[in-house]
Parts: sequence; C-alpha cells; structure tokens
Amino acid sequence: MRNLQLSLNQTQKIRLQSALEKLESLSSKSNANSVVTVADSILIYEEGILKGHGTLDRKGELVATVCGVVERINKLIYVRSLRSRYKPETGDIVIGRVMEVAQKRWKLELNFTQDATLMLSSMNLPDGIQRRQTAVDELNMRSIFTENDLVCAEVRSSHNDGSLQLQARNQKYGKLEKGQLLTVNPYLVKRRKLHFHHLEQYGINLIIGCNGFIWVGEHVEVTDKMAVDQANDSEQQIGKCDQNSMDIDGPDGTFTPLKTRQNICRIANAVRVLSALGFSITMEVIMETVNFSKTMNLDIHEMLGSEFYVLVAESEAERRSATKRKR
Amino acid sequence: MVGLSEGEKEFIKGGIAQDLRSDGRKRYTYRPIYVETGVIPQANGSARVRLGATDVIASVKAELGKPSALQPDKGKVAIFIDCSPTADPTFVGRGGEELSAELSGALQHCLLGSKSGAGAGIDLSSLIVVEGKVCWDLYVDGLVISSDGNLLDALGAAIKAALSNTGIPSVHVAAGASNDEQPEVDISDEEFLQFDTSGVPVIVTLTKVGKHYIVDATSEEESQMSSAVSISINRKGHICGMTKRGGSGIDPSVILDMISVANFVSRQLIEKLDSEISAAEANEDESL
Repeated sequence: MRNLQLSLNQTQKIRLQSALEKLESLSSKSNANSVVTVADSILIYEEGILKGHGTLDRKGELVATVCGVVERINKLIYVRSLRSRYKPETGDIVIGRVMEVAQKRWKLELNFTQDATLMLSSMNLPDGIQRRQTAVDELNMRSIFTENDLVCAEVRSSHNDGSLQLQARNQKYGKLEKGQLLTVNPYLVKRRKLHFHHLEQYGINLIIGCNGFIWVGEHVEVTDKMAVDQANDSEQQIGKCDQNSMDIDGPDGTFTPLKTRQNICRIANAVRVLSALGFSITMEVIMETVNFSKTMNLDIHEMLGSEFYVLVAESEAERRSATKRKR
Repeated sequence: MVGLSEGEKEFIKGGIAQDLRSDGRKRYTYRPIYVETGVIPQANGSARVRLGATDVIASVKAELGKPSALQPDKGKVAIFIDCSPTADPTFVGRGGEELSAELSGALQHCLLGSKSGAGAGIDLSSLIVVEGKVCWDLYVDGLVISSDGNLLDALGAAIKAALSNTGIPSVHVAAGASNDEQPEVDISDEEFLQFDTSGVPVIVTLTKVGKHYIVDATSEEESQMSSAVSISINRKGHICGMTKRGGSGIDPSVILDMISVANFVSRQLIEKLDSEISAAEANEDESL
C-alpha cells in the first residue's frame, strides 16, 4: 500500500481509497489500545512481570523499543512488531540463493540478517545412497549447488547468536529450476500447514517460503535416481549435449510449454499485485486472484495495470466483509 | 543486482523466445509509465518518470549565457546524468561514474545531435535572446533513483517531460545598446514561455536476447542480453540518434529490422507519453 506507483485516474483513486478504508474498518479493533511506538510506556499493574522482546526497563518504567502491538502471555509482556525482517522458526520452509560454497557447507542468502548455512551432511548425496561423505564429495559440492542457485530447504535450528542451520534431506527440497522467483515482504507470509503447492491442473509448483521468497515454476517429476541412472546413463549424456546447443534453436520441447508459462506468469503477477497492496499471501488468495483475472479475460500484463489493482482491493474488501457477516 | 541461477536464466530466455516475458508482457510492450511533473519547484522544469521499478528524475535549469562564436544564433544545452547510490550499492562514491558518463553521452547523441549543433532534436535557435550576445543555456540534469533496467528510455522520457514543463522567463532587452557592449537584459519573474517540445524525440531501446529483441528490458533480462541498440525517434518517424552497447556484433540486416521495430513501437510510446505528460501537468495545476 505504500508507494503504489500507478497512474490512477480520479475515479480509481476514490475507489481504491474507499476499499482500503473498508478493510481498515473491518480489521479487529480489540488491539487498538495496545498499539505502541518506540518510547511509548507500557502500563503494568502487577509485580513480577517478565520483560520480553521489544521492551526496556527505563527508570522503573517499562518502555517499548519497537513499533508494534503489546502482547501478554501469563507473566510475560512483549511487543510484537508488525513489519520486520524474517524471523525464523524450526521447521519453516525457506527458499535461499547460494552465495558461497565453503568447506563442507553452502551459505544461502535468505532475506535474513545473516547468511544461513546448509551443511553438506544435511543434503542427500547425488547418487541417493546413504553413505559416509568422502573428500571427493566435498570437492564435488559445486556440482550439486553452485553460486546463485536457488535452493528450497527447511530450517533445522537457529542458534543463540542468530545463525541459521538448514536441511534438505527430503526429495521435495533441493534445487529449483524452470520458473521464476518473487520477493515479497516476509510478514505477508503466514505460517501454515502446507507451503508446497502442486497445482495439478496447471502442472505448476508453487512454493511459498516463510522468508518472503516465493517460487513459481514448472513441475519437475522427482525421479528415484538409483533406478533411473543405470538404465539411462548413455541417454542422459546425449540429452545434455542437445541441451547445450539448443540455446538458439530451442524447439518448444526443451523450453517450458506456452500454456504452463502463461499460468506461471499469471500466478506471478497475482503475487505481485497482492504484495503491492499489502495483503497476506496464501494459496487461496492467489488462486482467487488468478481466477478473477481469468473471468475478466484480462491480458496477463494488464494484471499489473491500475484497474486490476483497484478491483483486487475491492474484491478483497467484499470477501472480508462477507466472512465477517457470516460469523 | 542479485545473481540469477541457470534455471532462472533459461526461463527468461525461453520466455523471450516464446513472446511471453516473466511479467506477462509481450516482446514489444512497455511497462506502465507514470509521469509526475513539477517535482522540483526551484528548477525551471522538472519531471519524475517511473517505468516499473525504474525511477528517474530530470530537471532543467535555464541561465543566461553567451552563445558560442561558431553558432551565434543557437542557445546551448548540456545534459548530465548522475546515478544515485540508492539505485545500487555499487554506485557509492565514484562507482557510478562509468554508467553516468555512458548515459550522458548516449543522451547527448540522441537529443543534441553533432558538435556543430546540426540535427538536434531540441530546437536550439528558440533559445536565442540577442543574436551573438545573449542566449539561454539549459542545464538538464538527470538523477537515477532506482534502477530496474531500461534507464535510457526512462531518462529520455523524463527529459522530454521536464522540457515540456520548463518555463523560460521572458526577457526584455534594453534598447539602444551599441554593437560591442553586452546589452542589458531584464528577466521578468512573471511571464514564462513554455518550451516547445513537439520535436523532442523519445528513445526506444531494443535489447537482443538470443534471436529476438525486446523493448523495455528489466535488469534481469538485461543481464542476459547479447547487445542493445537505443534509437531516438521523433514524432515524424525520423531517427535522431542511435547508440549500440554490448560486446557481440549484429548483422546489418538485423539493425535495419530493429529500426523498423523501433519506429513502430515509438509511435505508441510517443502517444502514451504525451497523454501521461498532459495528465501530469493537469494534476500539477490542480494541486497548485
């Protein structure tokens, strides 16, 4: 909602304004009293209060150090900030870009205060067998992930000093190819049960990383390397040669098929619109926006035009007021 | 600029080959252009242009000066571009100088023509006050605030918008001055003459990726380019200047094809830009 760089004409501005006001009025008012800014004092009425994150004891008075909402759990009082960098928790699915290949580990950039570490031991070895790592594996690290690759992984632990350990032991984690990456603010991605979405009707993978990186790409079949390898060894080599020379003459077969690409672009634009408007990014909202644009027969790039922004804001306001009425 | 993985690069190249880029645009579609004029009140004219995430500001300052001896009937225009560190951390200090020099040079070629002043897109003879003695010097400054590719087009559009927003104060020359002396001039604060920008060209940059060319490349797409040709075309469809960047060579037939594509694209761009500029000026008048 900040810095919407669109040329809205007068009517569109009015409509957007009214939609945003409607959304604000629908948001719960219960916390209106407990919103604090930096240096606001927090009133406490009891003894023995534990002072948590975002608070500071100044001359006996409890003062907030961040802008946010005051939360209280039994004896713990803390301030939960609304907009902040990604706050990792164990078990989060994240997408990172390899910044550095170091000794027995990769360093990934995650939109976090530091680079996260992915140890070689937290990765499945390329031939799939569980065995001890040798020095040869360490030398071949670059053949698994090299610099600037996109990797999907899970947070294994976050240490006291803030460093983050990742693991990618599952088949569904690993290198991401054939798609595009979108960056949104981390606070727009709420933690859910499911972050991997395989959209069967489009053949697309949608991974919503908790750190604000969202991947939209073609679905690649995850094959069992052991069985395939022996049969296809020679075939694979021919395949690779073809791929290198196909750059200019690319038949459509080696590029992503057009239909899938159109859906990828539609979903990507839906995410861009939602993030610019500051709405939470979830599967349902994304698919709703995409279907909305399809029913309106909008060209894919028109989804980034001012008219669509206003329509999305209005429909979201409608949806939320409808759910509120049902309650 | 963050790096791109091989998979992402393939995806971008594939998109361009299939005429469906990452944000859904076709090869010859521009991103939505957003123009704001009068952003710098102290300047004679200014404009801010946003092309997607690319954000540039152009300002025009007019000062009285002496015309050069070689062209006593023409005013002077100087164009300088500065890349702000907010656009990219590498622009801190002297890091942005190379890019700034390249952009300034390209804009000077496209808009100002040759050293002798012939073939300029901007009409320099309208800047003369007293022939041979007093003329207007226009200093056009551009600032790149945020860069997401296609800086040259955005700067060209911003300069065009700033020039149409420029008001040159009207000058009264004291009568009866002899031929040798500098005449006295009186610059009025009230009356302004709007600069005539119907002849100012726009710049269209065509970026070649693989076998195809695209218009208005984002910085991700620009990282995959083999070469880029920037052509400035005016309203009549005449070419006012051309620059080529990028290391790989282009066949001459490809250049001719690019020129015809640029011609076609520029017509829509000029219309869109003109309507955006007039809308921006109308907004500015309202808010005043």
